[in-house]
Amino acid sequence: MAREKNYGNPQLENKLRDRYYYVDDTKPEFLANVEKIGRTIAHMCYQCGTCTGSCPSAPRSSYRIRLFVRRAVLGLEEEALTDPDLWLCTTCYSCTDRCPRDIAPTDIIMAMRNLAFKWDIIPRNFLQTVQLIYKSGHGVPNNDVNRAARERLGLPRDPPTTHAYPEFIPGIQKILDHYKLKENADRMLAEEGK
Amino acid sequence: MAEKKEARIGVFLCHCGTNIAGSINIKEVQDYARTLPGVVVSDEYQYMCSTPGQGKIVDAIKEHNLTGIVVAACSPRLHEPTFRVASKVGGINPFRFEMANIREQNSWVHMHDKEGATAKAKDAVRIAVAKASLLEDLFPKSVPVEKAAIVVGAGVAGIQASLDLANAGIPTYLVEKTPTIGGRMSQLDKTFPTLDCSQCILTPKMVDVGRNENIILKTYTEVEKVEGYIGNFEITLRKKARGVMTPEEAEAKGIVGGGCNGCGDCSGVCPVIKGNEFEFAMAPRKAIFIHHPQVVPNIYTVDFESCIKCGLCVEACGDKKAIDLEMEDSFEKIKVGTAILATGYELFPIEKKAEWGYNRFENVITGLEFERLICASGPTGGHLVRPSDGQTPKKVGFVLCAGSRDNTGIGKPYCSRFCCMYSLKHAHQIIEKIPGVKAYLFYMDIRSFGKMYEEFYYRIQDEGAKFIRGRVANILEDPKSRNLMVFAEDTLLQRPVNIELDLVVLASAVQPSPEADTVRKLFGVSKSADGWMLEAHPKLNPCGTTTAGVFLAGVCQGPKDIPDTVAQAEGAASAASIPIHVGKVELEPYFAQCMEEKCAGCGMCVNLCPYSALALVEKEGKKVMQVTEAKCKGCGTCGGFCPGGAIHMQHFTTPQIVAQIDAFLLGGEQ
Repeated sequence: MAREKNYGNPQLENKLRDRYYYVDDTKPEFLANVEKIGRTIAHMCYQCGTCTGSCPSAPRSSYRIRLFVRRAVLGLEEEALTDPDLWLCTTCYSCTDRCPRDIAPTDIIMAMRNLAFKWDIIPRNFLQTVQLIYKSGHGVPNNDVNRAARERLGLPRDPPTTHAYPEFIPGIQKILDHYKLKENADRMLAEEGK
Repeated sequence: MAEKKEARIGVFLCHCGTNIAGSINIKEVQDYARTLPGVVVSDEYQYMCSTPGQGKIVDAIKEHNLTGIVVAACSPRLHEPTFRVASKVGGINPFRFEMANIREQNSWVHMHDKEGATAKAKDAVRIAVAKASLLEDLFPKSVPVEKAAIVVGAGVAGIQASLDLANAGIPTYLVEKTPTIGGRMSQLDKTFPTLDCSQCILTPKMVDVGRNENIILKTYTEVEKVEGYIGNFEITLRKKARGVMTPEEAEAKGIVGGGCNGCGDCSGVCPVIKGNEFEFAMAPRKAIFIHHPQVVPNIYTVDFESCIKCGLCVEACGDKKAIDLEMEDSFEKIKVGTAILATGYELFPIEKKAEWGYNRFENVITGLEFERLICASGPTGGHLVRPSDGQTPKKVGFVLCAGSRDNTGIGKPYCSRFCCMYSLKHAHQIIEKIPGVKAYLFYMDIRSFGKMYEEFYYRIQDEGAKFIRGRVANILEDPKSRNLMVFAEDTLLQRPVNIELDLVVLASAVQPSPEADTVRKLFGVSKSADGWMLEAHPKLNPCGTTTAGVFLAGVCQGPKDIPDTVAQAEGAASAASIPIHVGKVELEPYFAQCMEEKCAGCGMCVNLCPYSALALVEKEGKKVMQVTEAKCKGCGTCGGFCPGGAIHMQHFTTPQIVAQIDAFLLGGEQ
């Protein structure tokens, strides 16, 4: 079937693009990879929507976790990994708590994020978080407002983490270096800046 | 014991279409069988169970003067009776037939290993031939069948089964643990899809039960002990202390014209107030009570757990002298030929699914509570109200698959089968009764598969019920208004929804009654993985069980609606009446036999026998063991234990079993 319509106009071409689901477009190995990385039974989903109904992100965004599970089941790799909604999960695990089929939808999302990272698809704030962890050991480092609040509560200004024990930061850096996380984050942010 | 003669065995291999021949080389096994000692003919056929297949056995017996038959085919549970008959027709004793299972235990499990499966089939045939060479003539024992039946549980299943048995002329004991018959169906307001009033169609049957002279009704009674076997069950019933005598019981005690007439004077003066279980504690009852006005029998019951024995009821009863506050449980032994179990269901404790707030939020109720609230004879006279404030709800939600189709371990993995339809019916009932009401059904699939069910779905949709295709994620309560926020995804709209409702009805999953397990074990009936009682065959024997003479009816075997329950009850009644009408049953002759010359009379076996089938008797000046064959199940406990080897287990003799083991381990060498 002709998928290119050749209107000679990119806008029209996009608007009237072929929206059929073709089996040829699917990648069965996508489901296998998601299940292997996520260690969960995505293929057992019966699309009841308990996950989306439980999701704190769904009422305030276009993120629909049920659709991502569906894409996993159908092997729609590109559609799933290039959808920016993939990054709107807060990993609260409410869906995993309530799924009647005992699937862990959160872990499906985490698996897809892993796969997307291999394609260099990752929002910049996640990359910046990597840089912050590399630098301080914290995704959200302590700041003066927090320090003041901690003092008021009779706590030490810095928590007993890498903030109080900076000698452990090199260990964290070693882990991030091992997985080339920092290296890739730096590279992608630099490319974006160009 | 039959005299020894040279074994002449015929081996017959079944292809079972490709079921067996697809993964086993039949020709190879056939040729192999010819080499086995004692085998004089080895044959094969597409379907051994067919008439030509059986004909091969009959002809071979005559032509080759066979002494034993081996058929290698399916499980003996399927076709052992078939081939025994064929052996008999051929002119040899049917117990000279031995079956080798090369389908269920071979070709089906080794589908992709033809070589291995063929080797295993050879082993199975060799073992069977070794046993067949030593088989003896045996004669089944025929025992008379008691012309009576027992039905356990008096819901609609038990009622229907009892009526059928009784109308077929069989005296039937109908045993019910609660004080009245009627079961779950008597709690329902209307029934789908016809919208008949449930009580209106059930009470005539309940009254029939009370009047039928072939039905011996035993309410407030439980099965205590079951002994015996098909045709001759001896059952001990525990008649729980009811505290109130029927007119018959009173008369037996010499109180002429006394006994309970259901007047209710006692209940009027009783000072103790408790929740009425029939109304799910939404209405009160006294410590001396009937559950509702249409009880059968119309006899009051004392709840001794809450009775304070003040004696006011005894005074109020007066000359009828029906009340005995010192009454104790009594026991009765009955003898029946067959039994039907109809122990029904209860709701899954849906509060375990904490996200829906049952027991936390007053306005979240179950489907059965809804039935009582919408029922004209219920606690509110049929006016549906919110439990929190007694107001009429204007927006009502129905949560389908509440706890059903749930694989989390908290909930039930199966479909409870009648919730879709009763939720549709609930929506209809509120639309009919409350002007301007809105009904929301949260569903995953609407399973409307029965006769006129899909049409019913169409009708309710046409009446204006809103269907939201999504399972409810959670429910929150507004602490002020006590309204409920129902969260779900409308999966068709692909948007999360948050609907504020006045009342939410959970179509809770169902599970077996709490007593079902006890009853099941007493009658030796298995359960399936989902907890319901196990039928003998899911398709071809749905009423029978693996215990001969015990049958199942209704939801105790798995969730089913009223039409299916009644149909199964009639099936069970028909099945249970067959042995009674035939008047005798044949017991397989796998009895233990005492070889008196070897028996030392030690009596160890007598105490070991789980069926009380053995006794020591005095014979020619010495003590020997004696078997009551009708009680012996051939379990082999005594035979395995006997220190003197004096017990002969028919059809499973020591030489036969040793020959089988040798045939397997020595590969046919002697």
